[in-house]
Amino acid sequence: MKRLVMMCLILGCTSVVHANLVIEITQGRDDALPIAIVPFASSGGQPEADIAAIIAANLHRSGQFRPLPAEDMLSRPSRGADIIWRDFRVMQSEYVVVGRINRQEDGRYRVEYELHDVARGAQMVAASYTGDASQLRDMAHSISDKVFEQLTGIPGVFGTKILYVTMNEGRDHPFELQYADADGHRAQTILRSRQPIMSPSWSPDGSQVAYVSFEGDGLPKIYVHHLATSERRVVAREQGINGAPSWSPDGTRLALTLSRDGAPEIYTLDLETRRLVRRTNSRAIDTEPRWLPDGESLVFTSSRGGGPQIYRMDLRDNSVRRLTFEGTYNARPDVTPDGRYLVFVHRRDGRFQIGVQDMQRGTFNVLTASNMDESPSVAPNGTMIIYGTQEGGAGVLEAVSIDGRVRVALPSKEGEVREPAWSPFL
Amino acid sequence: MRASTYNRLFIAVIGSAMLAACSSTPTEDDTSATDQQQVEREADTRPVTPAQPTRPDYSHIPLTAEGYHNHPSHYDGTTDSRIVYFAFDRSEVPAAAFDTLRAHANHLKGNSNARVRLEGHTDERGTREYNVALAERRSKAVEQFLRVQGVSASQITTVSYGEEKPKARGSDEMAYAQNRRVELNYTAGRP
Repeated sequence: MKRLVMMCLILGCTSVVHANLVIEITQGRDDALPIAIVPFASSGGQPEADIAAIIAANLHRSGQFRPLPAEDMLSRPSRGADIIWRDFRVMQSEYVVVGRINRQEDGRYRVEYELHDVARGAQMVAASYTGDASQLRDMAHSISDKVFEQLTGIPGVFGTKILYVTMNEGRDHPFELQYADADGHRAQTILRSRQPIMSPSWSPDGSQVAYVSFEGDGLPKIYVHHLATSERRVVAREQGINGAPSWSPDGTRLALTLSRDGAPEIYTLDLETRRLVRRTNSRAIDTEPRWLPDGESLVFTSSRGGGPQIYRMDLRDNSVRRLTFEGTYNARPDVTPDGRYLVFVHRRDGRFQIGVQDMQRGTFNVLTASNMDESPSVAPNGTMIIYGTQEGGAGVLEAVSIDGRVRVALPSKEGEVREPAWSPFL
Repeated sequence: MRASTYNRLFIAVIGSAMLAACSSTPTEDDTSATDQQQVEREADTRPVTPAQPTRPDYSHIPLTAEGYHNHPSHYDGTTDSRIVYFAFDRSEVPAAAFDTLRAHANHLKGNSNARVRLEGHTDERGTREYNVALAERRSKAVEQFLRVQGVSASQITTVSYGEEKPKARGSDEMAYAQNRRVELNYTAGRP
């Protein structure tokens, strides 16, 4: 419930724009788990959102579930006591979700749901929510998260957000920083600009974002922007490059790139004391830092060995070692929340694709198959990676599972979409 | 290998510029009789603007994506040319741009109030922040060229946009060649 309240605060303060991302599953798993999400019974008036449909779409998009079509259901129970188990066994549905929405006299909604195991004929989870019409979608995401976690053992990310940059050529302010639900709905604009916006990064509590904006004088500056209040401040405005901000896991520091001393170098900036510490010292390019979950090391891109490769730095002594050796171009790293997998942009035969390296075993895989994949960002549960690619010459977003088995597209109805950043758990 | 390519191109550039200079008067004469008649008719009533020299014809040098950065048609040797193009993955100033950049250097040296901003760009290939770093190398290479010509550091600022502000749309080599560039933008004392 605290989550809903916080989201409500965020929603209340920025303008809602037309939802312009639609998720399409492009590659699923053969072993996806069949599940029946029975349309929720409603009383007291038709609700503004179809909760069962949102849950089914969420689970389908994860690639791990195969929601059965509502029209194929032989019965549509709304509570456990009414379930005719045979009806769901016939459909080979392993699990069933039932629920009901009641519009109360004060206009708020009470939503109840239950998850049942069809084989055992037993209830696994039941819970209820209360909120207004604008929170129905949040409730659907929260139910999806609970069902996903109950059946996979992994927390769901349906209630998280994605941050991204859009570009609409010809508009007075072509560049926008937006964020939306993880399913692409409820997109909101955080910032509009005539000049480029780059490299958005979430604070670990999801309340703030850092980004690069060239607004005003056309020079790059790093901003920290509070989502609920829209208050923002410049935290880096040095001569040369001010780029690639990345928030530390404890939220107190940013890693970033500055070229004020000549070549692009990695720095850390204490957001409270404003103290800058230079971390690299090479005549080559050092950029694109990301924190490891321990908060005491960074991964970053460096050309110190010739072409771009990914290196790891221990911040206690600034010692550096190279991590990637596959091919001649590996850049823009991100790391899974458990610190095990490194995801990055890998060039192979002139094509830029998303690669993943298991840092425990040293194995390497390419997860995507197009020409221009970039800006990978890992979901907070470590299962999916969202990234930018091109479709028909325009930038769009796609997501792929860390094992490469599931791929989904988020086609945009207008303009270019790029540089996605998946939020932490909210 | 690369240096000799540059030299050959450089000779080609100078050669064609000289050719163009020699041939400019006759070309102008036979372009169009009606123009000349008009000039004669109006000569006693108002001053005649001097004939503009024709732009040299470089059509015999094919404009390829690979040779784009060194193609003489981009560089007229005056401050009118304000874009320097770069080869793929390179940040050396192309030889064909030398005369044009010397003209900018002379303008800046002769006008101490003039200020130029060097804006570096890459094509879309590669990661965005890494491209910001690569594009900065290009703007710094142009800055270095101007500084060697004696331009004061206080007259030059550099900024790198990486791949964020392409000049040409599209994902083909020709679009990429047009996007790998440094633009010279005067913020004061524009020539």
